[in-house]
Amino acid sequence: MQKHKAVSGAIISWIVLIVLSVIAIYLPTYIDNRSHYIICVLIIVLLKGQQIVDVFMELNNAPKIWRRLFLSYIVLLPLLISVIYLM
Amino acid sequence: MISPSITTASPDEVRPDKKRPDEKCSDKKLPGDLAMWFFILAELTVFAIFFIGFAVSEQLNKEMFTQGKAQLHQMAGLINTIALITSSLFVALALNVMHKVKPKQAVWLIVTAQAFALLYITVKIWEYLSLFEQGITIETNTFFTLYFLITAFHLMHVLLGLVILAYIAYSAWYDKYQDNNLSGFESGTSYWHMVDLLWIILFPLIYVI
Repeated sequence: MQKHKAVSGAIISWIVLIVLSVIAIYLPTYIDNRSHYIICVLIIVLLKGQQIVDVFMELNNAPKIWRRLFLSYIVLLPLLISVIYLM
Repeated sequence: MISPSITTASPDEVRPDKKRPDEKCSDKKLPGDLAMWFFILAELTVFAIFFIGFAVSEQLNKEMFTQGKAQLHQMAGLINTIALITSSLFVALALNVMHKVKPKQAVWLIVTAQAFALLYITVKIWEYLSLFEQGITIETNTFFTLYFLITAFHLMHVLLGLVILAYIAYSAWYDKYQDNNLSGFESGTSYWHMVDLLWIILFPLIYVI
């Protein structure tokens, strides 16, 4: 049952990742403000990263320290990049 | 699990939903070898330096980077994103069927993942060639120096990932993962997901923003 959930979880994540990738490309059509656009794209990066870390890498079942380490990477790096772009 | 019907059990033992602290710890297992995770962390750190360097350079040369990004094929980047994400899905599914002790099925899923990785490589080479045809090289300007360095470095990781996937597929085909010891297989799949993770940061940074 758990393995079945893992398969459906991976497929749902794949759909989410594809949809977010397409949204990121077409965002400039809907958002004129560059700062808002950069923030939206980097939030999308964060959401996609969380899916890969938790579902594909299966770190949601790993010791907390490792999950936190990888999640902090996908939070801090886009945060730092957005600070650089918005300076 | 101790049955709740045993009357001599301690209060903690009679509650099947409540695990002891040591049981909780044993449930949380890092997939693959610890060494691979440290290697992945090292790789992520190197790429983080590249990404930060790229963002800082863009702030220093805004016009050059805007012009440079306009010359890139955004759709090729999107195709590559979809190829890598799909490849990662098949690798995740392969690990799942390995847990069900179906190594041959896992091999076919890995081969499918590799096919998507080859699509990524093909598109990337086409992208490089079309830039070369326009007379754009690594020496054109700072943007293209960083573009070629970062994407080629990532491409090298994709190639290494392909070799690792081929190795774990070979090992699975010849039943080398005995006694449900999938540590080597998990290490290989984790490396591949890292390649995907890096691309989802690289793609918006270089092609989209």
